[in-house]
Amino acid sequence: MNKFFTTKLSIVVFILIPIIFLWHPSWLGFLGVQPYWPLFWLLPWSMINGSINGLIFGLFLGLILDSLTINSDFTQIPGLILCGFWFGKIKLHSANLIIGHFRYGLICSLGSFLCGTIYFLQILLKNFLDSTFLLLIPSIQNILAEVFLTGIFAPLICSQLLRMFKFSGKK
Amino acid sequence: MLDIRRISTSRWWHKKKNWILFVIFLFLVFVRISKGSIYKDFYYFISKPFWPGQFQREVLLKSVNQESLIKLNLLKKDNARLREILSLKDSSKKDNISAAVISRKTGSWWRQLILNKGAKDGVEIGSVVIGPGGLLGIVNKTSLFTSSVTLLTSPESKVGVWLDRVQINGLLVGLGDNYPSLILYSNDADIKVGDFVSSSPSSSLLPPNIPIGIIQSIDEPFKAKKTAKISLLGKPHVIDWVQIIKVKI
Repeated sequence: MNKFFTTKLSIVVFILIPIIFLWHPSWLGFLGVQPYWPLFWLLPWSMINGSINGLIFGLFLGLILDSLTINSDFTQIPGLILCGFWFGKIKLHSANLIIGHFRYGLICSLGSFLCGTIYFLQILLKNFLDSTFLLLIPSIQNILAEVFLTGIFAPLICSQLLRMFKFSGKK
Repeated sequence: MLDIRRISTSRWWHKKKNWILFVIFLFLVFVRISKGSIYKDFYYFISKPFWPGQFQREVLLKSVNQESLIKLNLLKKDNARLREILSLKDSSKKDNISAAVISRKTGSWWRQLILNKGAKDGVEIGSVVIGPGGLLGIVNKTSLFTSSVTLLTSPESKVGVWLDRVQINGLLVGLGDNYPSLILYSNDADIKVGDFVSSSPSSSLLPPNIPIGIIQSIDEPFKAKKTAKISLLGKPHVIDWVQIIKVKI
C-alpha cells in the first residue's frame, strides 16, 4: 500500500483536486474567491511529463471539474488544455532556487488569468445582449482575486509537488 | 375659691390623643402641599408585586403569536383558494424537504450548493431552495443522493421577481458577485433603495411571494432599462440547512 502511494503519488494528488474544489475552504479565500486549484497539480505534472501529457491531463481535469460545476453552458477545458500544453514547454531546471519558487507563482498566476479570461469570455458571449456591462466589474474582480491567490500559493504547493512527483517517479 | 382653680395636668397639650390628632393634621397638610406625591410613591411600593410582570407579558405575546399564526393560516388558505381559481402555480408545505449543505461554492464563477438530498428523496430539477431569509436558488442537477443548486448570485441564474411597492415585474440576474442585479424594462419605474423584492406572483418557475432581497443601490437608467443592485436576504455562505420546495407544474 505504501509503495503504491509513493509510486503513484501524482495520481493520488490528482484525485484530491476535485475534493478540494468541492470543499472550497473559505478560510483560504480572498473576496470569496479561491485559488485555481487544478493549476497547482498541472504545472509540476506537465513540467515533468511534457506538453502532450499536460494537454491530455488538462483535458481530464477540465472534464472532471466541469462535471462538478452546474454551469452546463461554460467549460474550463480550453483554459486547462492550453495551460497543460504551455506548462509542458517550461524547462524544469532553474539556476536559482528562490527565483524558481517565484517563477512557479508567476506561471500559475498567468495560467489562472488565462483560464479565468477564457471562462469570462464564454459568459460574456452567452449574455452578450442582456447584461454585458453589468457582468464586467464583478468578473474582473473575480479574475484578479483568483490570479492573486493562485500566485501566492503556487510557490509553496508547486515546488513541493514537483519534488514529490520527481521523487516518486525515480522509485 | 380654690375649687375653681384649674389643675395643671388637665390642659389640652397634656393629652396624648390631641397630639396624635395634631400629627395627623400636619401630615395631611404636608400631603396637601406635596399634591399627593407621597401617596403615589407609597402606592408604587405596595402595588409592585401585582404589576403585569414578565409572566403576563409572555402570555400576551403567546396570544399575539397564536393570533398571527391563525390569521396567517387563514390568509394562506384564502390565497391557495384564489390561486386555484386563477389556475396559478402553488406549492404546499407537505412538498418541503429539509436538506443539509454538504458543499458550497459562494465565490468566483461557480456559485452553487450541494445538498445531501437527491433523486432518492424526491428532489427534482427545478425545485426551489429556500433558507433562513428567503430564496437561495434553484435545483439544477440531481444525483441519487445529492442535488446541486444554482445560487441567485451565479452568472447562470435568471429569475422573474416582483416589486410589491411599485407593483412591477423585473428580472433578477446573477453576475458572479454577492449582489445580483435587478433589471426593469421600464425607464420610469419609481423604485427606491430599501424596496422589497420577492418572487413574482405570476412566475412560472417559482412559488409566489418568497422573500428574495432588498434594493441596495440604483444605477443610472441605460437604454430604456433601469438596473439596481439587490442585497439578498438569504445568505448562502453561512446557511447549513435549507428547505427544498417542489414546484407543481
